[in-house]
Amino acid sequence: MPRAKIWGFIAVFLSVFLLAFVIYAIFIGKNDHAIPVDLNAIGVMTYYSMAAPLLLISLFVLGIGFWIGWTIITIKVVPPMPEIVEKNDYSKIKAAVLCAVTLAAALMLVYGFYLRAYWALAIPAAVISLVVLGAVFWVGIAIITTRSTLPKGKEES
Amino acid sequence: MRVLLNAYRGSPFCGGLGVYLFYLSRELAGLGVEVDVVVGPPYPDPLDEWATVHKMENLNIWMVRTRSMPYETRKRLFSPWNFVDYLLTRFHVFPEMETFSMRSFFYLRDLLKKKRFDIIHDVNTLGWGLLPMKGYGIPVVSTIHHPLNRDRSADLTMDTTFWGKLTTLLFYPLGMQRFVGKRLDRIITSSYEGVEELGRAFGIDRKKISVVFNGMDVDLFRNTGEKREQNALLFVGNTEDHKKGVHFLFEALSLLPEKVRLTVVDEKKQNASGLVKKFGVEKRVEFTGKVDHRTLVSLYSRKTILVMSSLYEGFGLPAAEAMACKTPVVATAAGALKEVVDADTGILVPPGDAAALADAIMRLLNDAGLRKKMGEKGRLRAENNFAWPVAAKNTLDVYRDVIAGFRSSQ
Repeated sequence: MPRAKIWGFIAVFLSVFLLAFVIYAIFIGKNDHAIPVDLNAIGVMTYYSMAAPLLLISLFVLGIGFWIGWTIITIKVVPPMPEIVEKNDYSKIKAAVLCAVTLAAALMLVYGFYLRAYWALAIPAAVISLVVLGAVFWVGIAIITTRSTLPKGKEES
Repeated sequence: MRVLLNAYRGSPFCGGLGVYLFYLSRELAGLGVEVDVVVGPPYPDPLDEWATVHKMENLNIWMVRTRSMPYETRKRLFSPWNFVDYLLTRFHVFPEMETFSMRSFFYLRDLLKKKRFDIIHDVNTLGWGLLPMKGYGIPVVSTIHHPLNRDRSADLTMDTTFWGKLTTLLFYPLGMQRFVGKRLDRIITSSYEGVEELGRAFGIDRKKISVVFNGMDVDLFRNTGEKREQNALLFVGNTEDHKKGVHFLFEALSLLPEKVRLTVVDEKKQNASGLVKKFGVEKRVEFTGKVDHRTLVSLYSRKTILVMSSLYEGFGLPAAEAMACKTPVVATAAGALKEVVDADTGILVPPGDAAALADAIMRLLNDAGLRKKMGEKGRLRAENNFAWPVAAKNTLDVYRDVIAGFRSSQ
């Protein structure tokens, strides 16, 4: 079997295992006694070392969302561009919704972080994990399910 | 002097970046400079004759669905920078410049164990990796022909949906370029208009910007001696690029007599098709599709006038090429075009004014003597200002200035 396919299988099995683990640990098994859901019970240093990076990444992503919305709202159509004058454009309304949603999410996140709420950490952690592991899984599947397009002699063993 | 050129794409057949790299490296080598090139794909095949080429990987997977990628590409996705590329491109980000600069930074760490360089010259990347590169103790300069703000504004102006605008904003890495550009040792741009533009868009200190006019191959672009056609206009450029102002070009054509014809060197794409129909000039416009250099030179030499209807130009290379082929130019005074075309070599009109464009074209079509005089002066101007040896010599002067300043501050 080509080495790339072996890596493909490893990626798929590993990502499926970790995805299942993340979903179970965050959403299903959170009430097990083994998992410290009460974040007030852990030390200040321990809490901030976990929560601060997650908060920063989440605020960065939400900040990009807000910036996109704000930029769309404040775009000035440079005259003269007669081609687009007659077209209907609802993007500013959608951009306002994006700004409101990202701003509300960011405020809730910061407030949850301040209160040491479980979901303020769990949801960003779950989203980041699912995006990265989902990408690993998808690439792995793509590698497993296709054949090399190189001539036979040039394929790796 | 030992120079390291750093460019995320290198083939001279795939855009201006590759052309710049090809000619600049060749001319610098001709001036006795030892040139190394760190470059991403498509690679510049013939550079090895005068430069040492170091090839960086890049899978070019932006807008490519995972299932549509060739197997050979898919199996490379798990290497660290390729995976970063993959993840970001899934969110419509265009990370080629970011990841190329980081690959280049790590590659240099090993290369510098074997070789030393006096200066690093980045070409239009302005990626994050250039900042830690300064830690190697070598001055870093970058060429920016024009800030991408102009391209982004043009795209945003034409995007009529929320999704279109969102993906446009994600595509352009302006935040990175602004942050990095301000922190490099020098920025080279191709026009005085560019200095102002870079100051406005990226907040770069004007004193840190040097102007070196773009180069062109004046031996390749020279009049072929073919018979000139009458009332034949030529436009060279991407008709889908809204900065080219083709709307005003076709509108101007509709104001000119029926005998005036226009040849467009580009594919017949959606935007242009709609516009020629709108202005009723379908029968008077011919689209050549993509052409090779020989055909382009022949077109420049045969057509009566080159017309540039741009709303903005970072330089305006077609104008310089036409001038080198002794063809007069009617152009808008947009961006750097007014620095390329002067009153001796063409007529400048305000951008976005189809009537003024038509008037200027008519004036030139009616005056054969003026056309001939402008053509002769155009060739001289191109040779003296826009030839690659001139551009390379001026670039070398900038290198010397930067290195001297850098060493005196150490």
